[in-house]
Amino acid sequence: MALVLGIETSCDETAVGIVNDRKLLANVISSSVEQHARFGGVVPEVASRAHLEAMQQVIKQALKEASVTLKDIDAIAVTAGPGLIGALLVGVSSASGLALALGKPLYGVNHLSAHIAVDRLDNDAKMQPSVALLVSGGHSSILQVNNLAKDVIVKGATIDDAAGEAFDKIARIMGLGFPGGPVIDKAASDGNKDAILFPRGLTQSADLEEHRYDFSFSGLKTAVSRYLQQTPNYLKADVAASFQEAVVDVLISKSIAACKESGIDNLVIAGGVAANSRLRELAKQRCEMANIALRIPPAGLCTDNGAMVAALGSLAINEGVKPSQTGLSADSAASIAQVIW
Amino acid sequence: MSTVLAIDTSTSRTSVALVADGKVLFTKFHDDPIAHGEVLPKLVKEALSISKDIDLVSVGMGPGPFTGLRVGISFAQSFALGLDINWVGVCSLDAMAASINEVEFIVSTDARRKERFWARFKDGKRISDPAVSKASELEKLGVPIFNEGEYFPDPVMLANLALNNNSVEQPIYIRKPDAYPLPAGVKFRVMTALDLVVATAIEKEVYGKAAWSGAQFKEEFAKAPKDAYYLAAEAEGELVAYAGIFFVADVADIHTITVVEKYRRKGVGRELLKRLIDWARVKKADAIMLEMRLGNDAARPLYEQNGFAEVSKRENYYGPGLTAVVMRKELK
Repeated sequence: MALVLGIETSCDETAVGIVNDRKLLANVISSSVEQHARFGGVVPEVASRAHLEAMQQVIKQALKEASVTLKDIDAIAVTAGPGLIGALLVGVSSASGLALALGKPLYGVNHLSAHIAVDRLDNDAKMQPSVALLVSGGHSSILQVNNLAKDVIVKGATIDDAAGEAFDKIARIMGLGFPGGPVIDKAASDGNKDAILFPRGLTQSADLEEHRYDFSFSGLKTAVSRYLQQTPNYLKADVAASFQEAVVDVLISKSIAACKESGIDNLVIAGGVAANSRLRELAKQRCEMANIALRIPPAGLCTDNGAMVAALGSLAINEGVKPSQTGLSADSAASIAQVIW
Repeated sequence: MSTVLAIDTSTSRTSVALVADGKVLFTKFHDDPIAHGEVLPKLVKEALSISKDIDLVSVGMGPGPFTGLRVGISFAQSFALGLDINWVGVCSLDAMAASINEVEFIVSTDARRKERFWARFKDGKRISDPAVSKASELEKLGVPIFNEGEYFPDPVMLANLALNNNSVEQPIYIRKPDAYPLPAGVKFRVMTALDLVVATAIEKEVYGKAAWSGAQFKEEFAKAPKDAYYLAAEAEGELVAYAGIFFVADVADIHTITVVEKYRRKGVGRELLKRLIDWARVKKADAIMLEMRLGNDAARPLYEQNGFAEVSKRENYYGPGLTAVVMRKELK
């Protein structure tokens, strides 16, 4: 049992979480998303400044929420990549300062793996092996997780845009705002998902041979923008719902195929896009039909947070992984193969 | 008895010192403009092996390149929190000036983009706020300049200054982030044939005889979305700007960025240009080109900020005596 404090600053959320093994004690998030909305996307320098400004307060608030002091903390975990380099460095430097002052071990952890690790919290389900669908603003991949701290195999990934990116871009073209995920989800709630049949990328039999578990969303994006250009009186709700359906349909079909073909009957869906209501609904239906146990973390833990970082740090400790070296390097382009630094 | 840990990451040098009542227990630095994050924890770990008994953290608050600067501040604040002690922020230029024996002088550090962060000192006191200027401007002031390279913020001085000065609580950035807000109330969307009545009127007003006809626009629209991209900006329900780009033989060519008089200088053109560049990147174009009329180059700084450089001039391009300046931005 270890008390771990996790720090996340890879994008626009300054977040600190505290866990005791698999128990969530605190999860505090300060977001700069409102500062970015007027720029139409996350501005790295704006995000980095906001991280530094919020960091001390967010740490103190998390300690208060968990009713612990820094002296009680057994280890510090921090997102070391992938993400915006200037943003990552604020978190890594802060975590290094804490770890050295407290004389406690520091674990630099992978942001993507942390999204999956958050599923450990507040339950005692056996997690492995499992297939994981990881969908966020920067990533869309299908993973085979034999051991989250040590053995993760990438089965497929997007060959162009990430799913979350597609949501952002379509929302921008439709003038719905930023970030795209929640606004499209909301617009789609009044729409007909079958109104327009948008293409499902990489699902034709020729594509399936080479890209069985890969995704492509750029064709879909083109199809939606062509539709908008050619249909002056389009219904926003229908376009949003039909677009969302095209994304979600492919994500889930390929994930279930990966489960079946690898003989694994556990599917975990993680990352910011896992907060999408239609994704959650369709995954539940299809997994029930296919007899696959589905796990999706609560929507509030799917978007970036510090609890997920702490959860992965605590898993690393349980698995006997060595702490990171003093002066670990943040890596903006880290691959999921690097779980702990 | 008071032991101060001093940290500065405001220049290409990461430096750390441990000073107890004026006695230097440890001081060390490492020069690397992009490794503050890796170097600082190692130096502090070394300092801690000398003494763990620290009462105060002093940190250089800049000015300095932002990413490195934040490494020091973020580390120092959390380190102090971890030990439950105070931290004090000091202007890094003060720590640089403290070891210089001159009556009146300027200290200056590298602000990148051919500019310097600087401040002016007289009789041992700073007499100007930290600022950023071109190096040539500084020379005009006619006082000796002490530059980063020969001089650096001295961490021992930083420790001493922390004991005798008020804390600088915020990072000294001076520059604003390179980001421009979207113009308020302006919506961006794809341009369609429905815009052409208004667009052709704007064309006549802005370009006179060189105005495009509706048919010319339609011809371009027919290439969309594969090889062309046209965008419209709308305010209060009216078309106020539009822009188009098309793709041919590995290069994307910007056809037009047109903003009605009333909506100029509000960031509409900047946003349209940004979106055209994004499109060209997605199309994997090698470069983007545009032509601009010589003499009508109000938009030139905008293009230059976005990485366009003049490659040639075409005479009589817009009609007799009207020269076009050709600009190009490499994407690969």
